[in-house]
Amino acid sequence: MKKINWLGVLTIVVLILVNLPFLIIIPSSFTAAGYLAFPPDGFSWQWYAKIFDRPEFIDSFLFSLQLAAVTAVLSTLIGTLAAFALSKYTFRGSRVLNALMLSPLTVPTLIIGIAALMFFTRIGLAGTFTGLLLAHILISIPYVVRLVLTGLSTFDYTLEKAGYMLGARPLRVFWDVTLPLIRPAIVSGMIFSFLTSFDNVTVSLFLVAPGTTTLPLTIFSYMQETLDPLVASVSTVVILLSLVFIVLLEKVYGLERLFGLNSQSH
Amino acid sequence: MTRRLSILLLTAPSMIVLLGVFLIPMLMMFLLSLQDETEQFSLQNYLLLVQDPYYLELLGRTIRVSLWTVLCTLVLGFPVAMFMAGASGRMRGIVAMLILAPHLISVVIRNFGWVVILGEKGWINETLLSLGVIDQPLRLLYNELGVVIGLTDAFIAYMVLAIATSLYAIDTSLYKASAILGASHIRTFFTVTLPLSLPGVVAGITLVFSLSMSAFVTPALMGGTSVKVIPVSAYEQIMTTLNWPLGAALAFMLLGSSILLVTLFARLVETKRYKEVFSA
Repeated sequence: MKKINWLGVLTIVVLILVNLPFLIIIPSSFTAAGYLAFPPDGFSWQWYAKIFDRPEFIDSFLFSLQLAAVTAVLSTLIGTLAAFALSKYTFRGSRVLNALMLSPLTVPTLIIGIAALMFFTRIGLAGTFTGLLLAHILISIPYVVRLVLTGLSTFDYTLEKAGYMLGARPLRVFWDVTLPLIRPAIVSGMIFSFLTSFDNVTVSLFLVAPGTTTLPLTIFSYMQETLDPLVASVSTVVILLSLVFIVLLEKVYGLERLFGLNSQSH
Repeated sequence: MTRRLSILLLTAPSMIVLLGVFLIPMLMMFLLSLQDETEQFSLQNYLLLVQDPYYLELLGRTIRVSLWTVLCTLVLGFPVAMFMAGASGRMRGIVAMLILAPHLISVVIRNFGWVVILGEKGWINETLLSLGVIDQPLRLLYNELGVVIGLTDAFIAYMVLAIATSLYAIDTSLYKASAILGASHIRTFFTVTLPLSLPGVVAGITLVFSLSMSAFVTPALMGGTSVKVIPVSAYEQIMTTLNWPLGAALAFMLLGSSILLVTLFARLVETKRYKEVFSA
């Protein structure tokens, strides 16, 4: 008799458990009934059609996409610049600066949201797109800095020198030599920033303006009042969209490596 | 362009964001937590938090829920990490993908899935009722159990990865040596695998504990009104009651207690039994 591999069995159980929410949500969204149930009663697309009757879901979805896209571009840009400074030069205070860049990770995002609300109210940024965007950039920068720093740690700076000696200008060297070599790190920083911003609840909670809110927050408040298959259909759309980005991340960088760098997001 | 100027230009944008959205706001929040109703300096908010049994109970519940979450992620996560360490590259990749990918999908949505599973008319209750195992729906949600289930699901990936990382580093010839010397699998586990994985276990415990202490979404959605924790209470003080100084003090109580407990824990393991493991 073959011995049972208990480790394998336990692993499968845990893998099923962590994926169970999705295994339940996706089929539930196709129910023909008017209530939420698993297994679903019948099959219909009605709850997807009903998304279009609820402008708050569509509006907040588009708003979240925009916010996440702008956050991804800006935090990648800002974070990459900082990572370059930290990698290329050792200067007085560079270690402090490195620690400082990563410090938003060590404070819970809920507390960052509260602090930002208090300060933004004082300076008139509370409830503005700029305020929300800045906070999303702040929580994404540490990931970008760490990813790009790792990418740069294996980068050979003599390649840049070679570029200069061949007469290239600094921008040309960056574009043709440096960038292609660290592109995976930068691209994964950008994708990760996008996901961080798109999924964020605890910072946005304090900083969104009434009327313009993000999708996770809309789902969050809807869920506190009603539980119907509409949440399931909206969630399925988000799951599929996130999956596209997750597969991209896995292809570009590798999830396991990515998580070695990551330390919180809730 | 001088070196100094390059450094300044490269770091200025991130420093501006860091100062304007993090350092200055945190400082301001701290000053605000030290104000009374008349905006005078006072310790009354902190005194209230340590004297009122309501807030102590809140802190106790937050810590209790976090400890249970640590225990659950450890018990469920350790085997997965061990499986990953022993698996081939391809298998390891598949397991990593299946345990890490859900983590990148909104926590609100995962919680929603659990509500569908655990609710009074949820999948588990309906199944058990129709099988006649129970005749009243079990209360699996809107209590501490529900919160612990939600948090365990949310943070297990961190535990698995922290432990797996330290297991990867173990020299596999140690297992062979142990087997040659006649040790059983169980003996090998307790004398070789477990002690050498402790740095990862400690890192995982620390990470999951601090994440659980500050989790807001899961307790709010899966705990209901009866299982209030500090983050939910801080949110209410700020957004509903509009008592910002007290909300700020609650935020610092959360941060302070979390850091204190994590530090104490680290001290305990490093100085007591496993010093040799950590100094290696």
